Amino acid sequence: MASVLLTATISTITFGDQYSISRCAFPSLSTLHLRATQKGIHVEMNKRVVVVKAMTTKSDFDDTDVDISLSHRVNAVKPSKTVAISDHATALLQSGVPVIRLAAGEPDFDTPAVIAEAGMNAIREGYTRYTPNAGTLELRQAICHKLKEENEITYTPDEIVVSNGAKQSVVQAVLAVCSPGDEVIIPAPFYTSYPEMARLADATPVILPSHISNNFLLDPKLLEANLTERSRLLILCSPCNPTGSVYSKKLLEEIAQIVAKHPRLLVLSDEIYEHIIYAPATHTSFASLPGMWDRTLTVNGFSKTFAMTGWRLGYIAGTKHFVAACGKIQSQFTSGASSISQKAGVAALGLGYAGGEAVSTMVKAFRERRDFLVESFREMDGVKISEPQGAFYLFIDFSSYYGREVEGFGIIENSDSLCRYLLDKGLVALVPGSAFGDDSCIRISYAESLTNLKTAVERIKKALIPLISSAALV
Amino acid sequence: MANTLYNGATCRIPLRDESLAFSRHVSRSLSFLLKTRAGKQSYAFAVKASSHSDFDVDLSLSPRVNAVKPSKTVAISDHATALFQAGVPVIRLAAGEPDFDTPAPIAEAGINAIREGYTRYTPNAGTMELRQAICRKLKEENGISYTPDQVVVSNGAKQSIAQAVLAVCSPGDEVIIPAPFWVSYPEMARLADATPVILPTLISDNFLLDPKLLESKITERSRLLILCSPSNPTGSVYPKELLEEIARIVAKHPRLLVLSDEIYEHIIYAPATHTSFASLPGMWDRTLTVNGFSKAFAMTGWRLGYIAGPKHFVAACGKIQSQFTSGASSIAQKAAVAALGLGHAGGEAVSTMVKAFRERRDFLVKSFREIDGVKISEPQGAFYLFLDFSFYYGREAEGFGKIEDSESLCRYLLDVGQVALVPGSAFGDDTCIRISYAESLTTLQAAVERVKRALIPLSSAALV
Repeated sequence: MASVLLTATISTITFGDQYSISRCAFPSLSTLHLRATQKGIHVEMNKRVVVVKAMTTKSDFDDTDVDISLSHRVNAVKPSKTVAISDHATALLQSGVPVIRLAAGEPDFDTPAVIAEAGMNAIREGYTRYTPNAGTLELRQAICHKLKEENEITYTPDEIVVSNGAKQSVVQAVLAVCSPGDEVIIPAPFYTSYPEMARLADATPVILPSHISNNFLLDPKLLEANLTERSRLLILCSPCNPTGSVYSKKLLEEIAQIVAKHPRLLVLSDEIYEHIIYAPATHTSFASLPGMWDRTLTVNGFSKTFAMTGWRLGYIAGTKHFVAACGKIQSQFTSGASSISQKAGVAALGLGYAGGEAVSTMVKAFRERRDFLVESFREMDGVKISEPQGAFYLFIDFSSYYGREVEGFGIIENSDSLCRYLLDKGLVALVPGSAFGDDSCIRISYAESLTNLKTAVERIKKALIPLISSAALV
Repeated sequence: MANTLYNGATCRIPLRDESLAFSRHVSRSLSFLLKTRAGKQSYAFAVKASSHSDFDVDLSLSPRVNAVKPSKTVAISDHATALFQAGVPVIRLAAGEPDFDTPAPIAEAGINAIREGYTRYTPNAGTMELRQAICRKLKEENGISYTPDQVVVSNGAKQSIAQAVLAVCSPGDEVIIPAPFWVSYPEMARLADATPVILPTLISDNFLLDPKLLESKITERSRLLILCSPSNPTGSVYPKELLEEIARIVAKHPRLLVLSDEIYEHIIYAPATHTSFASLPGMWDRTLTVNGFSKAFAMTGWRLGYIAGPKHFVAACGKIQSQFTSGASSIAQKAAVAALGLGHAGGEAVSTMVKAFRERRDFLVKSFREIDGVKISEPQGAFYLFLDFSFYYGREAEGFGKIEDSESLCRYLLDVGQVALVPGSAFGDDTCIRISYAESLTTLQAAVERVKRALIPLSSAALV
């Protein structure tokens, strides 16, 4: 919301000779790029510090000379597109527009009753105080137990830090191990926050493209070709957001053999979608591979598998040295996670192997939805699809529609404009692939009822008709 | 726990023992590398994994993380908790949180949120309902006007502050921090590659910032002044007159912003009153106001705080948050709406707590004033005493060793007296020790007796 409104606010600024502004249109809410001089003083752009004096009575800075510059690191970071789009769609829905939101990355299911009850009991019993910074021992022990039984990785409780969601776990790991100038290797399509987290650490994201024909999986040869002395962290997300791809054990072993040759290279394995996986695909934890335990940081959590997104609970497991550093950052950033949520987390892990029946019921529904969507989009002309094996996203190639012009809207130039078009005309909120480093695709979340998905597909088909019959490519 | 172990490793374990921490993975000798990064030295331990790998894994950490100290309050609290769980009857007066349960209407709102399935992501900046309620509170209680898009709700006020520091401070900027300070402020500055500039205060001045000292320390690089009132660890409250003096100084420096940490706002003892810095003339547009629910409403475990300020800065905080944690807990946000619904200053629920805190404060002030060598400044807010025990430094305790500073005195009081306190060095003032009186009067009475008893041998010990 703040990001969207920021755009609206800046647009009200009156421009004099001293100022110029360029910005991207929604939904591509990239960082506003302001270039300015103030009272004849040239701003040193190499420091990436921007000083702006607003010239409108509506401004927060009316009649003041306050320096409103921001730190270069913050200026370098783009706001999360998925969050911005989801916020915007929510705002539209609240204003009465019947948007179908397939943009947010969270299950549509309620938190399982057993977990919810544990949270309620925690509140009733007054379990509402600070927990240890790294998380309650009870939860960390339960996490170690899960990692052993389900993933065949051995950790002790002091090799675990519990955080306010897995996003925090990932960013703290990046901040802990990456020094300025280090390279973070990120296969594309990537979870939108990974490159921004690298930038927060003053590290350099190195993006490795993948192909839909290869199920968006990392090519080991490409990985090897891009490793340098500065390569510090390789981020692997499996099952993957946004593609739903699952790395096979064989491919992970190939990657591990490459990693093993580079003493500086660590691996962050984001396994948050572990249990949302469709047979016969299976999940392999990178840390369980030979020689990889001591250089792998394993991130997992409760949001996706257990429909606990609003509870904010995730964790990292790894070598004590690295995990302690993550804990140190956390002790200065947020302190321990919610005591209530941690009690609920214990109950979640108590549901049994892979979440037991509560989770298998959700996965069955997700699979049904996936199958429906895959079949529906395969029928469409000009659409390329890779069948996902996990998570709850489709990353669909609509690039054959780029370049076409539609009456009343303009040219469909890229994934951003196509998403904007589909939101305007079809009232369906999706996320442009550009947010994930691959502009040829659009991400559809199928964490939504089958009924709504059917409606969404019809709306998309209808919205695409004018594009199909559109005049020659512009 | 992890922090305690890490802290111990950093402070006490010699290098040769460091290898033991990695023994399960090491088949050969530890090798030690000195590396220079960006002009700074950092020590990297390269450990060779047994049998599976022919290369040593580089265990170096980023220089910023190496520069940050773990939070001593968290480390000590964790350690005392561990002792307690091991059966040692430690009286824990180290953690900074109320001992009260969350008030029933707030707890009920959280339970209802769960029951009604309000368990999904919220907007990154917080629910509109909560942000509107926050704007109403800030208007009615603090006399400051904000719109909902000038508020970002976070997982506790600590995150709100960290994000503000990261947003406005560029490398080399100075963050002015009066001491005694809340332990995390300088570390947050370091996370932003900014330089903390610590301004000492005097117990005889009730630990309040001297405006002349502030003026003399401001430079071109001064970017942020952090004011905490009521204060952690001192309990001091800045009177309006002094804040106005500070504001006049701030107004002369266009780069200087103020972060006003008001988390203890409602834990305040008449006749002291709270003045929000943003409400002072000319200060609205350069003040970032941080407040939250942990202290006033005994909601520490719920993790909820917020920042309010000019849209430009708050949007930047929201941007960091969108990449760090996303929005705060949906359940906690519903509970917070109920908290703000309790009425002005939390209504009777909060006034009941404050009455109890006041009673405890009065007991402790009286008790410690009776002890020889202890200097005290009577707090006007929060629930901490910051006591000057430096009279006891330099003395040797039989079976323990020399009491050299606040840390060794705290260790002594934990070992011998079984009372967990926090050394003043964690707050930038080594003459004192912080006692939290967020604990029952019965427990405080026992703690005072233990402290007195533990100090007896020191009183009679000769200075070494």
